[in-house]
Amino acid sequence: MFGALLYLRLTSLRNTMLSRVRRLKQPKYLVGAIVGAGYFYLMFFRRLAAGRPSVHDQGYHGPVTVPPELLSTLLALGALILLVIVTLGWILPDQRAGLTFSEAEIAFLFPAPVRRRTLIWYKLINSQIAIMFTAAIITLVTGSWGFLGGSALTHGIGWWFILATLNLHFMGASFAMTRLMDNGITPWRRRSAVLGLVALVALVTLAWLWRDLRAPAAADLESYRTAAAYLNTLLTSGPLPWLLRPAEFVVGPFFAPDTPAFLTALGPALLVFALHYVWVLRSEVSFEDASIAKSEKRAAKIAAVREGNWRAASGAIKARAPAFRLASTGRPEIAFLWKNLLSTFPLFRLGTLVALALVILIGGLWIDVFPGYRGLQTAASAFAMFMAGYTLFLGPQLARQDFRSDLLNTDILKTYPLRGWQVMLGEILTPVAILSSILWLALLILLLTVHFHQLGWLTPSLRLVIGLGLVPVVPVLCALQLLVPNAAALLFPAWAQTMRNRSERGIEMLGQRLIFIAGQFVVIVLALLPAAGGAALFIFITQHWIGLPAAVAVAAGGVVACLAAEVWGGLWLLGERFEKFDLSAELRP
Amino acid sequence: MIEVTGLIKRYGAFTAVRELSFTVRPGEVLGLVGPNGAGKTTTLRCLAGIIPATAGAVRIAGQDLTADPVAAKRALAFFPDEPRLFDYLTVRQHLAFVARIYGVAHHEALAQPLLEELEIADKADQLPGELSRGMKQKLAIACGLLHSPAVMFFDEPLTGLDPLGIRRMKDSILKRARAGATVVLSSHLLHLLEEVCSHVLILKKGEKIADGTLGDVSARFANGEANVSLEEIFIRATGGTES
Ligand SMILES: Nc1ncnc2c1ncn2[C@@H]1O[C@H](COP(=O)(O)OP(=O)(O)OP(=O)(O)O)[C@@H](O)[C@H]1O
Ligand SMILES: [Mg+2]
Repeated sequence: MFGALLYLRLTSLRNTMLSRVRRLKQPKYLVGAIVGAGYFYLMFFRRLAAGRPSVHDQGYHGPVTVPPELLSTLLALGALILLVIVTLGWILPDQRAGLTFSEAEIAFLFPAPVRRRTLIWYKLINSQIAIMFTAAIITLVTGSWGFLGGSALTHGIGWWFILATLNLHFMGASFAMTRLMDNGITPWRRRSAVLGLVALVALVTLAWLWRDLRAPAAADLESYRTAAAYLNTLLTSGPLPWLLRPAEFVVGPFFAPDTPAFLTALGPALLVFALHYVWVLRSEVSFEDASIAKSEKRAAKIAAVREGNWRAASGAIKARAPAFRLASTGRPEIAFLWKNLLSTFPLFRLGTLVALALVILIGGLWIDVFPGYRGLQTAASAFAMFMAGYTLFLGPQLARQDFRSDLLNTDILKTYPLRGWQVMLGEILTPVAILSSILWLALLILLLTVHFHQLGWLTPSLRLVIGLGLVPVVPVLCALQLLVPNAAALLFPAWAQTMRNRSERGIEMLGQRLIFIAGQFVVIVLALLPAAGGAALFIFITQHWIGLPAAVAVAAGGVVACLAAEVWGGLWLLGERFEKFDLSAELRP
Repeated sequence: MIEVTGLIKRYGAFTAVRELSFTVRPGEVLGLVGPNGAGKTTTLRCLAGIIPATAGAVRIAGQDLTADPVAAKRALAFFPDEPRLFDYLTVRQHLAFVARIYGVAHHEALAQPLLEELEIADKADQLPGELSRGMKQKLAIACGLLHSPAVMFFDEPLTGLDPLGIRRMKDSILKRARAGATVVLSSHLLHLLEEVCSHVLILKKGEKIADGTLGDVSARFANGEANVSLEEIFIRATGGTES
């Protein structure tokens, strides 16, 4: 039987790989793979091969390694973190043990004459693939953390020990907790018991250490060496070393500075791993029920997160009232705004916007009256700048209540009596509304709080004109940006689809993602260039004739018109593509 | 009225539908039958304007689907085999959305009887996630019927319904056909098709093997026998293992 399971695993893996390779015949995937591989090479492999430190190790210059006394502190600290994680694993769960099986696995394996132990085995083997991959990736990304000593290989194996043992531990813990639950011990009773135990251990340790314990003095914090020494005395006195020992065994290989130390650390690490392994295989709890519930929930949740619907991910979807009343007749695009608003937070509605604007307005005017609070103005404007930048650049990736989350409903959308561009326009309205509202609020804050006292030409009236001029620019700019991810969903639906389908990841996906992030910037720059250039030229030439404020106002109108024309062109192109689009054909491997 | 001439659909080098031509008049119900993979779903998706045909012309209620897709789509409704719904909209909100898309004025007056006819009126404020598969299908049907389409395409409409649901579905289709709607439906449940369809079209590997009224097609494959079931005809026509 186990052979069959292994066969299932390996053939799935092979077929996935094959379909991936076959897909590279399509140029869009090939280009993605090349860019992704190049990125990977530049970011990680080259550095590893050259043995150079990674950008992540800030403060590390040259071949300095951590001094041995610090290393033991780090080891103890690592063990402590591991212990905390493990303890949390005993406190947090509130459900019966469930190994996560895919829905297909459940349909095929659970009714099959397979022993439970074999299923656990299968799951363990299965998770090994993910664990090894993760260990390799972490090692690559951290550039092997040369300052710890050791090599990429010892660190990779070290990570594997940590992840694999944790995996086993959580599995065993979840079985044990299930058994407790079956014996009528509720999660809350278990939690209080675990917390009580933790408190008891902490108390005993504290009492033990009472004599030697002292709060860190200024001298201890003078340099990292003295701080480490202080930490070291704390961690190596009393019962703490004994408590930490098993966890230290697990992180030992990772922290081994050289090969002999690594080999010595292997033994204890293997022992802990083996003990866990035996423990897990011996605990046979009926996990099937829980697994089924879990896999359904997981599928729904993953789908939701991939769609950017944090609302669904954070719990069951609940019916609720729409943001506004939808009349039966009128522009059909508004129907999409109405529909997609229902899939976001209930806060996103006109009333909230108006209320926030009023609060900001009153607050801003109020601060203006009391010069003592000028500091607040600086803080508020800095906050608003940050908010605006974040919304402008990351907003389109986060607010996904558009075609990206409606991809699977394409067939139904296509039967509607609408042109492609109408569907596309309707779909982007919700994120445009959300992002524009945030940007408008940021603009309002900036308008109220920024005072360039040193810039004489920036008169209050001019400031107002600039602010008002930006108001209509904001939504068109947002729309322009949102065209890029929506175009991505239309051109690479398989890619957009993988955002919800966790099993599909790969270098070509990474490459495509990079292409789109870069693409978004390029589109914005290219789209803004003519408009901004024209506006600057116009202001420069006409300001002497009609005055600066009027020139700015007219230029803003020009920018809006120009960007709107670009948005319209983009929507039209996307619409053409939408009308020729066949989702079922695209989603075939 | 549906007029199809020379419809061809290719997926790359693979031809899923070859040179299909037929006409369905108002009041007729055409049953599209054929083995798995014969091209029924592909045909229906082409007719509903979901995927562009590779070649051929389709006219829906007199409107050319390629030349004026909006006018043609205004007259049609497509019901996929797997109901596609919006996760965040309740039953009632679905209808409000669809009403706005089609510009159905005062849709509440139409929606309520429709929900009652389909027996999901008591679920009006629930989300699709809370509905059973059959109820989801009913909701999809309610959405499609709201704008009183003249032409309807059903892909496997009877699968997944309970016996009573099947009877209601059949009655519902027949009622709309009698009221002048043009209906095309695909199904593998041949004994049920016999009760609903006035015409059948047998497809095999994308090719039309036979079409006409139930009587015509039976006569062609009956070899003079009387009372041959559609199932028997299907097996003879598609060269199934039985013959
Ligand atoms: N997007 C696609 N790309 C390539 N081939 C496709 C695509 N969609 C369908 N096909 C192929 O076209 C043929 C017809 O498929 P279709 O779904 O229309 O069959 P069907 O008659 O509806 O079958 P069933 O009775 O199983 O529903 C099949 O061979 C199928 O593999
Ligand atoms: Mg089909």
